[in-house]
Amino acid sequence: MAYIARRFGVSLFIIYVVITISFFLIRLMPGNAVDFLYFQLLASHTVSPQQALQQVQSLYGVNMKEPLLLQYVQYIWNMIHGSLGNSILYPGTSVLHILMNALPWTILIVSTSLIISFFIGISIGTLIAYFRKSKFAVLVSTIMTVLSAIPNYIVAIILLYLLADIHHIFPTGGAYSPEVAPGWNIPFLFSVARHAALPVIVFIITQVGGWSLGMKSSVVSALGEEYITSAHSHGIGSRRIIQSYVGRNAILPLVTSLGLSIGFMVGGSVFIETLFNYPGIGFFLITAVNGRDYPLMMGAFIIVTSAVVLANFLTDLINQRLDPRTMQK
Amino acid sequence: MSGFRELWRILRRNPSAMLGFGIIVFYLLMASIGPLFVHVSNIENPLAAYEPASWAHLLGTDYAGRDTLAEIVDGSTPVLIVAVIASTFSVVIGVIIGLVAGFLGGVGDNILMRIADIFLTIPSLPLVIVIVTFIQSSSPFVLAAVIAVTGWAGLSRSVRAQALSLAKRDFVEAAQVQGLSLYNILIRQLLPNIGSYVAMNFLLGISGAIYAEVGLFLLGIAPFTASNWGVMLNFAINQAGSIYTSQSMLYLFSPMVAIVLLQVGFVLFTRALDQLFNPRLRTQ
Repeated sequence: MAYIARRFGVSLFIIYVVITISFFLIRLMPGNAVDFLYFQLLASHTVSPQQALQQVQSLYGVNMKEPLLLQYVQYIWNMIHGSLGNSILYPGTSVLHILMNALPWTILIVSTSLIISFFIGISIGTLIAYFRKSKFAVLVSTIMTVLSAIPNYIVAIILLYLLADIHHIFPTGGAYSPEVAPGWNIPFLFSVARHAALPVIVFIITQVGGWSLGMKSSVVSALGEEYITSAHSHGIGSRRIIQSYVGRNAILPLVTSLGLSIGFMVGGSVFIETLFNYPGIGFFLITAVNGRDYPLMMGAFIIVTSAVVLANFLTDLINQRLDPRTMQK
Repeated sequence: MSGFRELWRILRRNPSAMLGFGIIVFYLLMASIGPLFVHVSNIENPLAAYEPASWAHLLGTDYAGRDTLAEIVDGSTPVLIVAVIASTFSVVIGVIIGLVAGFLGGVGDNILMRIADIFLTIPSLPLVIVIVTFIQSSSPFVLAAVIAVTGWAGLSRSVRAQALSLAKRDFVEAAQVQGLSLYNILIRQLLPNIGSYVAMNFLLGISGAIYAEVGLFLLGIAPFTASNWGVMLNFAINQAGSIYTSQSMLYLFSPMVAIVLLQVGFVLFTRALDQLFNPRLRTQ
């Protein structure tokens, strides 16, 4: 319990650091977004200084005329309460509203592809470790090595080009077709699956190589352990040895790297969602960057980072469940 | 010189490491002296757009009738410069912080490693995107520094672990007894021992920086002065609409093949080095 509480505390602290970084970026950097907007509004001569201040406050949630420390406290207070300001690109919409509609789609594609690629990867990895002397395993190893080297946005562009633009097999744009009614009905779920298919395939293709090679080396070193030799000499069937003796021990180091992998995939989702026009957090991050919508951009940054930090916390818990040794720390 | 002899010994035995090494050397040559041999014209001639491969244009022409091969060669220089600088930054920071934490111990060690943990957990790409958007500088040094902002954390943890285990070894103690300065012990005794580790991380860092950098240009986030592979992809997808015509396959795929081939080279070479430095990974 103490371990869980401590890890949770660390996660909250990291989120606090992230919010501090965003405050620094929008408020303290030379030519920062808040000053810029204020002087832009003044220069336009359409508003009074008082109105300009109010507009700045409604977008960024800070009052420029107060002392910096107070602004900082106010900013953190706002972020904790989910008031991330208002969007510039989508006038009249709160940043939180946009991002809360976007977050489920990012979670959907990242978690689906993480689970699928993890299980395909550990299966392939176990097989090529067991039959590592055969030509076929060497070939599969080589293919996995090459796959692990290809940047995800390149796979995305190739699929976009071949399957969406030329052959029109998969739709791009949106998370579901406008014709279907959102809800738990078959046409809607089918449409969601069809729209998520390309991003998920991209992640699987680019992630599976890393998982299978990691599993391969993990299994190979587990096979050399003495308890495996001992199990063999006790006449335990090789199927059972692979599953309960090798498998369980070999997976542990991979579970540890799940957290890192989630961070990397969420980062990659920025490219993939943008290329496929898939309305997740990454898509809105880039839309905000291109439209200079700083409140939306910082909101997307804070939400996406917090999601990754919490996901890391969850993988820590899973890891601890699987490996009682980590509890002692 | 013994390092090079050692390298040659590895390469001769391992064909895929040799292939990876060859690819990396080829790209280094292309980026350093390649631009002397090619000329990217400034003249835009839409009538000559998307020509197929020919002897005059081995990889065809782009949306403005320019030679694609020349653009690929010319674009390799900025990509590699930023990646090498970024990886150098993160390796130097990672080694310094790791060594300091390992030798300092106590509270200082704790604080440095908590900071490293934070940077390991925060997803790097969103952070890099946000910083690049605010800084808006086309200087390769600035871009490299931003990309390196999170890259050092992993290395600093492993260097610290190595330093902790090395500090207890006999030869370091012997050096201390002989009255050598801390600086001398660090540079002469410890660095050679973590050298292989640092070299691997340097190569992986370059590979990661290329991924981030090309991606930033591809999305049109990082400002650019000269064309590079990421800018070419950005134009192919957004500006020139090459992705919607099948004639433009050559122009769209050339930078992608250039990037993938280089990344494959890095992976093949670093995996071979990894097997060399971690004998446990060698197939039993």
